Amino acid sequence: MASALEQFVNNVRTLSAQGNFRELCEMLNKSTEVLMKNGQHLDNVLETLDLQQHSLGVLAVLCVKFSLPALATTPDHHELLFAQAQEFIIGCNGEQVRFAPDTYAELCHLLTHSLVELKLPLRGIDLMRRAIRKIQLFDSQLTSIHADLCQLCLLAKCFKPALEFLNTDITSISQEGGQFDAKYFLLYYYYGGMIYTALKNYDRALYFFEVAITTPAMAVSHVMLEAYKKYILVSLILHGKVLNIPKYTSQVVGRFIKPLSQAYHDLATAYTTNNSDELRTTINKYQESFARDSNTGLTKQVIASLYKKNIQRLTKTFLTLSLSDVASRVQLSGPGEAEKYILNMIEDGEIFATINQKDGMVIFHDDPEKYNSPAMLRRLEEEMAVCTDLDRKVQSMEEDIMVNPQFVKKSCGTQDDDIPPATTQGTKITTYSM
Amino acid sequence: MPLPMQAVIYQSAVEPMQVDAPPEDNDNNEEEPYIVENPSLDLEAYGNSYTGLARLYRLMYIADHCTSLRLESLKMAIQYVMSTYNVALYQQLHKKLQETASAASLPDVAGGGAQSTSQDVPALDLLWVETRSKKAALKLEKLDTDLKNYKSNSIKESIRRGHDDLGDHYLDCGDLSNALKCYSRARDYCTSGKHVVNMCLNVIKVSVYLQNWSHVLSYVSKAEATPDFSEVHGKDSNQSILTRLKCAAGLAELATKKYKSAAKHFLVANFDHCDFPELLSPSNVAMYGGLCALATFDRHELQKNVIFSSSFKLFLELEPQLRDIIFKFYESKYASCLTLLDDIKDNLLLDMYIAPHVNALYTQIRNRALIQYFSPYLSADMRKMAAAFNTTVLALEDELMQLILDGQIQARIDSHNKILYAKEVDQRSTTFEKSLSVGKEYQRRTRMLILRAAMLKHQIHVKSPQRDSGQGGEMSVAPGNSSLAARN
Repeated sequence: MASALEQFVNNVRTLSAQGNFRELCEMLNKSTEVLMKNGQHLDNVLETLDLQQHSLGVLAVLCVKFSLPALATTPDHHELLFAQAQEFIIGCNGEQVRFAPDTYAELCHLLTHSLVELKLPLRGIDLMRRAIRKIQLFDSQLTSIHADLCQLCLLAKCFKPALEFLNTDITSISQEGGQFDAKYFLLYYYYGGMIYTALKNYDRALYFFEVAITTPAMAVSHVMLEAYKKYILVSLILHGKVLNIPKYTSQVVGRFIKPLSQAYHDLATAYTTNNSDELRTTINKYQESFARDSNTGLTKQVIASLYKKNIQRLTKTFLTLSLSDVASRVQLSGPGEAEKYILNMIEDGEIFATINQKDGMVIFHDDPEKYNSPAMLRRLEEEMAVCTDLDRKVQSMEEDIMVNPQFVKKSCGTQDDDIPPATTQGTKITTYSM
Repeated sequence: MPLPMQAVIYQSAVEPMQVDAPPEDNDNNEEEPYIVENPSLDLEAYGNSYTGLARLYRLMYIADHCTSLRLESLKMAIQYVMSTYNVALYQQLHKKLQETASAASLPDVAGGGAQSTSQDVPALDLLWVETRSKKAALKLEKLDTDLKNYKSNSIKESIRRGHDDLGDHYLDCGDLSNALKCYSRARDYCTSGKHVVNMCLNVIKVSVYLQNWSHVLSYVSKAEATPDFSEVHGKDSNQSILTRLKCAAGLAELATKKYKSAAKHFLVANFDHCDFPELLSPSNVAMYGGLCALATFDRHELQKNVIFSSSFKLFLELEPQLRDIIFKFYESKYASCLTLLDDIKDNLLLDMYIAPHVNALYTQIRNRALIQYFSPYLSADMRKMAAAFNTTVLALEDELMQLILDGQIQARIDSHNKILYAKEVDQRSTTFEKSLSVGKEYQRRTRMLILRAAMLKHQIHVKSPQRDSGQGGEMSVAPGNSSLAARN
């Protein structure tokens, strides 16, 4: 038994020393079973390996340690395991680890899972951030560890650490063991959307949910279903209507997911009537399913947003209106509540108005922004810079494709196919003309 | 004579009638029942301007929707139906008549109730029913054998006529679906453009009775597309066919709520050739066309196509009230225009084709009037405006609010001083605003595009996991969801 382990350690040492990491990875994949059998001696193995020089070996051992079921009982054991993982993630050799990104990600998933089970999500946040930074080739690369980080942040209700990752637009996806699991992709965008929703950054949240529901799909994913439900709610809060989902959305959404979220569609229909009472009845009617999906809070926000939307509609039609009229038109309980809503909306910059408390009138104004201040011009310039950057990026992507040998070969190939019939046609025509 | 017998039949017929009444009412419910109280309709003249099923249907419609004219219209319908072979309709009308008569007689019943009603209500003539059915069957048989003979001789023209005759007969009997079948069968035996047009007209007629509007439209276009449509006929008959086609198309467009194209169709009708009482009367054309035009045309179109149209002027002479309405509207005398409109509303509600659209058309006319009223002003006193439209300031405010939200009036309401102000739009600001939002949209789309490219490059797609059945994959995700969502 011990000899198998010794063999393992020796192999790791020699292969690492030779720098033959590819072979080492293969060897490690095969030796999982050996390590599993010798669960109790793994700590000894770890002691014999050096963190920097034998990162891959340590990684494999740690991974096995996490998946050992029987030992996961004592808190001490978890402490030790967590400390070891932390030490590894901070101290390991990034270049070496990149030869086995799948195992690395696996370790992170396992670690996250155990932290979630122990209800200690806060502890993992910083570690996951480091883990991502270590394995990423550049900032805008998506790894499956992103999803773990978002999950931990959500559970810990500590969103800030995830934001620096969420705010970076993803341009590439890391190749983890040949295939990046769609589950983690979906989870990242679903959790990300939830984080943004919690922070009331609805625009961005909607973007994230949209990414989740437009992911190519052949089967119904629960993540996608939940994302679709939240997409409807956030869309209502932000735009007052459900935006059309893009054409490239997979058929699964239309065929299976839409029928599964009937309650949400009914809610959206009730919303379009602009009638708060009707919206409220619909929400009460489906209260159970909303509660089951844990979307009750969002539905409450949908109600509030309808009041706001109706007040905004008033600003379009009225110059002055008494508070009691506002209340009756928007179906609020009375002038007092109307005043509260209007006050909040003025403060949030959602409408422009002044309240005259003496005679209870609201005077609606136009948008005071005249688009002639230096600050506005600066903003314009910044926006334009972002646009041109994006354009440049798309262009360079296109160029990459143009010079891709495979693409060139393929496009030339089809041209070759096209040309012969064309020429025959041409000859035909000429023969006819002759 | 079998008079006492009839009384017995009548008596016994009343009882089941009462039972039958509720379901019939239900049929009416489907198209929101309404009752017109005091129409100013000359039923006699109204009925006489139509022939065939058109007259029967219209009278029945009036009977269904107006209590005061119910008895009279049913009597007229029965009288008319006796000249056709439509035995089924005769019986149906009688049923209705008896119902009405008994309902009417119930309150003032004192002495011999049954007898007094049977006096002013024509009794069910069973003899007539029998002989008519026999005659109809005989005629059908004769036409059928004729047609068979023609077919065996395979003379195309005769076969076509045979089909047409058979169709006419079916129509006379009220069997619309068979009539339609016969008329359309004639199609295969048409040898000239004239025949094709004729076939189309027949089909259109039946389709109008069946209220199959898409059919009507397709056959109108078919007739118009007939190659030598304009050449074959003499100038006059061509005009009459064209008018008929246009009116049928207009009717179909009206029924499908395309008021503007309906108006356009009706407006090209030629007054001198507007003679097809089995479809519409000229005053119908005036009314339908005029109202649709008023509801959908802008001021300029109204002037050019309606008021200054020499041909439509003749139609308008038939409906002086409508002419006044259109002129008042054009002269911006909205109050009197709207009062006049209200005056004719009751009669319109008794017209089977326009009744379902009266409210929609009236609303559109009113909205158009509101828009036109305000168009020259920068600010308008809503009290004066309300007076001009016979309404209260509050109701006007609601109407205006709806119009502003729909973007039909560019204005804002000063509810405090009850003044409507035209909204000045700052082009520069809106341009800035718009460009910013377009920029944002572009950024969003492009980001999504780049991400999607990466997504496709790495072949990310959701598929059912191979190792488990579909359930396993879902289960593995679900717990994470619920535990998380609870905190959100």
